[in-house]
Amino acid sequence: MKVARTLLISAVLSSLANVAQAQDKPAPKDAVLYFVWPQNGTTIKGAFWCRFGLRNMGVTHAGDEYQNSGHHHLLIDVNEPLNPKEPIPSDKSHLHFGAGQTEARIELPPGKHTLQLVLGDAKHYPFNPPVVSEKITIRVR
Amino acid sequence: MGEIRDFKSGRQERPPGDPTPRRLAAIVAGDIAGYSRLMQVDEEGTHNRVKRIERDLIEPTIVEHHGRLVKTTGDGFIAMFDSPVEAVRCSIVIQQNLVGRNAAVPKDYWIEYRIGVNLGDVIIEPDDIYGDGVNVASRLEGIAEPGQVFISGGIYEQIKHKLVCGYESLGDRKVKNITDPVRVYRVLPDASAFHRTRRRRENILIFLLSITLLIIAGGILWSMLIPRSEKVADRTPAPVSSPSPAASPKAAEPAPAQKQATAPAASPTAQPQPQPSASPAVTAITPPPPAREPEMVSLQGGSFSMGSNDDPSERPIRRVTIKPFSIGKYPVTVGEWNACAAANVCGFTATGNDEAPITNVSWSDAKQYVTWLADVTKKPYRLPSEAEWEFAARGGTQAKYWWGDQMQLGMASCKDCGDSAAAEQPIKVGNFKANPFGLHDMGGGVDQWVEDCWHKNYQGAPTDGSAWLGGDCTSHVLRSGSWKNDSRYVRPANRDNYDTNVRYPTHGLRVALSP
Repeated sequence: MKVARTLLISAVLSSLANVAQAQDKPAPKDAVLYFVWPQNGTTIKGAFWCRFGLRNMGVTHAGDEYQNSGHHHLLIDVNEPLNPKEPIPSDKSHLHFGAGQTEARIELPPGKHTLQLVLGDAKHYPFNPPVVSEKITIRVR
Repeated sequence: MGEIRDFKSGRQERPPGDPTPRRLAAIVAGDIAGYSRLMQVDEEGTHNRVKRIERDLIEPTIVEHHGRLVKTTGDGFIAMFDSPVEAVRCSIVIQQNLVGRNAAVPKDYWIEYRIGVNLGDVIIEPDDIYGDGVNVASRLEGIAEPGQVFISGGIYEQIKHKLVCGYESLGDRKVKNITDPVRVYRVLPDASAFHRTRRRRENILIFLLSITLLIIAGGILWSMLIPRSEKVADRTPAPVSSPSPAASPKAAEPAPAQKQATAPAASPTAQPQPQPSASPAVTAITPPPPAREPEMVSLQGGSFSMGSNDDPSERPIRRVTIKPFSIGKYPVTVGEWNACAAANVCGFTATGNDEAPITNVSWSDAKQYVTWLADVTKKPYRLPSEAEWEFAARGGTQAKYWWGDQMQLGMASCKDCGDSAAAEQPIKVGNFKANPFGLHDMGGGVDQWVEDCWHKNYQGAPTDGSAWLGGDCTSHVLRSGSWKNDSRYVRPANRDNYDTNVRYPTHGLRVALSP
């Protein structure tokens, strides 16, 4: 029993280690992820179209393993640093655009908010080095 | 409408002094190409096959398209329709069906119809129809090639924007005994075009396949050339794409011990394999994979207040009535999923513990699973509606969580739910206490797809418990929150959404069953 348990654990661990290992997708050094709109410091009334810009890489569907391409993730008011060994979280402050969207209708409560873009690979992991945009601050009236 | 259907009995209804009713109709004329040759080859066989085609294909197809078979001749038929669209549709159905029938016999025995469709004024007699319109249809049929449908300009004008298929203009044709030339169009989804496009499609597929292979080969070569910084030496056959994110050794360790502790109490879906180490072998060896039906809990239904004021997406709170239905006691497990994968229906075989919840499924994957399950079990398995899910998750309570308004440690699997083992990927379903309805993991654990399309709040949502479809259906609703989310996501009212066709490592499903 003990042997079986050890085997199971080692199997699980090695497979997990494999995942963490396999995701170090390289990104070109000159890749630039940026907001087309809004710009840093913009004041916006109500809902807005947030447009994502990407240079020197391509946008593709999540799940597609093409070289030098990924899909967008929009981080709203996220302060925790990104963990490069884990998939980009999915929740109300980490929006995923795995269908290859390059813009999104965003509705935020009035006040100051930060926005940041992160490019994810086919399995939603950040690239190495991570392809992230500047973190911008906007004010919603 | 009624007139055409009953034209055989129309004589009584005919107003006096109007002995011959005329009306506009779409006429379909069809006949068998090379009928006499076929009769020569095999008289009795051909006769029987033609009669069978008339009985099994032509008559029912005409009725299906709201037409009327006027008469059959030895080698053909004439039918009339109120609608040109239906007339052409019917003709296409007949032609495409014949392609399939002919595929099974040698070319010499092929029964191929030529079909002409015309719009025209006709005189209706009890057993026949007359007029220019009928003659033009017969002439069109006469110039049509075997297996094709020729239509007149009049029909084309009526259907060109309504019926999505190709039309090839053949110009004005002079036809026998008709003074004015007739504009003729060929309808394209015919037998030969069908074969042609299929061949083209095959070529494209082969081309894409070879490109994919090249890319894969290139990828392998490339990854072999790039030196890895670390390597796991003692790796047992490892999954290529395990949905699990990195887990610390500390968290994985308590799992087997915990399994042993909870196994007698949970006794769930996996009765055939009490030994977790033996379980993968069971599903792997048996060649025809038996459908493993998820354990179901039947619920009475009733009405409840759906939604909450904790998040704008959960407003407005409204009263929803749920009909009786059954829902899975646990999320669908890896073992249950792999039976579908082994049947070559579900898109991938999952690795990991048979009793762990299946993860990394898109909404489309989830639909594929329930459709397959319904198919093999002959039971109406489906995804639950969002309302059904929340009703089941609340378990008759109206508090923030089913156990009360305060988060309690060790009640669910989430990022800050307290249990250290729960902080990582769920090792098995049913690790936590069931709610008052006897359901496990309704909140935390894995996100669970429901049938509904995503709407940003409940404005205009149905109140009868049905799934809310329509709107922007590029994303669907997820319920439950996952082990990676915090305790706010464990609330039964919490709702989230994700792209319909995209897989994510925390997304799973739970099945429902209509009574």
